[in-house]
Amino acid sequence: MSDLSVLDDKATWESRVERLWSAQPSRFQDAWYELSRNKLALGGAVIVLFFTLVAIVGPALAPYDYAKQVLSDNLLPPLSKGHLLGTDELGRDLLSRLLLGIRISMAVGLGTTAIALSIGTIVGMLAGYYRGWVDRVLNGFVELIWGFPLILIAVLLIGAIGPGLTGVVIAVGFVNWAGFARIVRGDVFALREKEFVAAARALGKGDLEIMIRHLLPNVVGSALVMGSYYIAIAIIAEAALSFIGMGAQPPLPSLGQMINEGSGYMLLNHWLSTIPGIVIVLLVLGLNVLGDGLRDVFDPRLKGLG
Amino acid sequence: MASYLARRTGYMLLILTISSVVIFYALRTAPGGPSGGGVLSALSSQEIRQAYDKRMGLDKPVYTQYFIYLGHLATGDLGTSLANGTPIVELLGTHARNSLVLGLTALLISYVIAIPLGVLAAVKRNTWVDQLAMGGAILGMGIPNFWLALILVYFFSLRLSLLPSAGCCDPPQLILPALVLAAEGTAVTMRMTRSSMLEHLHDDFVRALRAKGLPEWQVIIRHVLRNALIPVISLTGLRLGWLVGYALIVETIFRWPGVGYLLVDSVLRRDYPVAQFFSLLLIFFVLLANWFADIAYGLANPRIRVA
Repeated sequence: MSDLSVLDDKATWESRVERLWSAQPSRFQDAWYELSRNKLALGGAVIVLFFTLVAIVGPALAPYDYAKQVLSDNLLPPLSKGHLLGTDELGRDLLSRLLLGIRISMAVGLGTTAIALSIGTIVGMLAGYYRGWVDRVLNGFVELIWGFPLILIAVLLIGAIGPGLTGVVIAVGFVNWAGFARIVRGDVFALREKEFVAAARALGKGDLEIMIRHLLPNVVGSALVMGSYYIAIAIIAEAALSFIGMGAQPPLPSLGQMINEGSGYMLLNHWLSTIPGIVIVLLVLGLNVLGDGLRDVFDPRLKGLG
Repeated sequence: MASYLARRTGYMLLILTISSVVIFYALRTAPGGPSGGGVLSALSSQEIRQAYDKRMGLDKPVYTQYFIYLGHLATGDLGTSLANGTPIVELLGTHARNSLVLGLTALLISYVIAIPLGVLAAVKRNTWVDQLAMGGAILGMGIPNFWLALILVYFFSLRLSLLPSAGCCDPPQLILPALVLAAEGTAVTMRMTRSSMLEHLHDDFVRALRAKGLPEWQVIIRHVLRNALIPVISLTGLRLGWLVGYALIVETIFRWPGVGYLLVDSVLRRDYPVAQFFSLLLIFFVLLANWFADIAYGLANPRIRVA
């Protein structure tokens, strides 16, 4: 009987609930625990964190100005005196250029993905929530973009905007949002039939409030998991476009631009291209492995299948 | 099925028409132009530029140019390149053939490597074979194709002098670009084959076949693989579309005179007739590939055909 008497005492009851709640690991803690047991994903996270740090502070620590040419010191090999990674054909310090290149690649990757994530979430949410003709129009457009190769659309868009990093960000962001829209639409399609949405509607909440307060928190997880992959896709696309002369314009060093400039010196000075290439590969591998880990955490059904 | 086909075809025509207008406008309103450094020297005088634009009809309003272009298309005249005066029909013949050769070789390479390895990885799940194959797949998806191209050129052309580094169209010159173009598709197909095999390896019908006493390899090849290949095959349509994108990069690196190389070059040089024709051609090809993917998917999964 003493147990039941506790129920009468509201204050005790509330404190008990509070205790139970705090003992329960939050979703974030849960995810962190799962992730910390996945060594591969943890390795990916470490790589991504490292490059994020380099992108933030690296250029400030660069020993030289990225565009400063010392023609008498050109094509020095790595580990030369005063130039840890050597110099390029114009005598510019490779390390200084690499540090800025990493920042540019990371910024393009994050920037395009932020654009794509925002547009994709809004479009996917509207299509999944309203269904009917709204869905048919929006989804028709999404499927159209989704079906096209990124590089083809990017080349055409950059043809219209003109070569440069702005063109790359717009083009890649414009293509990649379709991927997010598809995922969010699918999730919202299923979620809007759930009781909590019906309950919110019964309480007289408007469409906008339901979408933002109730649906958004439920779809943002899977969209963020995809974000990791899309940052990698954007980094590769930027590098590829810069490589064929449509991205970063000299003297600005993006990783793809550096590989392009070094490609003429492959036989005797291959490090000009191989070093920025290794950086891209590491960065992209880190992001992909981290993405796989996050996916296993948030969608355990797919574990080990991919 | 017939009404579905009709709807898809109508949709394709609509998209092509819209794309042609958008591309036409976008190219011509973009900064620069054939007379602004694309085809003529950037240092040409104002008079020379104006005379050039007038002769080429580039001084007319864009919509007039568009209808003139449509009129020419209707009579089968595809136009000529502004850069070197070559008729586009001629460019189409040689470049489309080169691209097809390259693309089909890459597709063949990727399936010949990916499917057996994917099956092996699934059967030997969680052994070193599986880990090696999947590690290779992760690497294949992480290495940008243009960098892979440089590394292969470095080893096989510059160091070992085994293969030419660029050019067309002998078989040795085909090997490196085809390998690079095949790389990412191989990785994706391998992962797909493996996961699709894993889904079916423990199905009831497989257990029944084993219980019947069928040799294990027959169970795997004749029964599991046959079911597992359905999603892989229906992915082919999409893969064809992706190949178009990668071909732009790979052909540019290896100077392989295909449609992708021509498109990148003509967009950068603002060679309008070439750029607009070949971008539309590639868009048409991608739409066709997606259409094929839809049909293949519908044939493999009869349930979605009505939708």
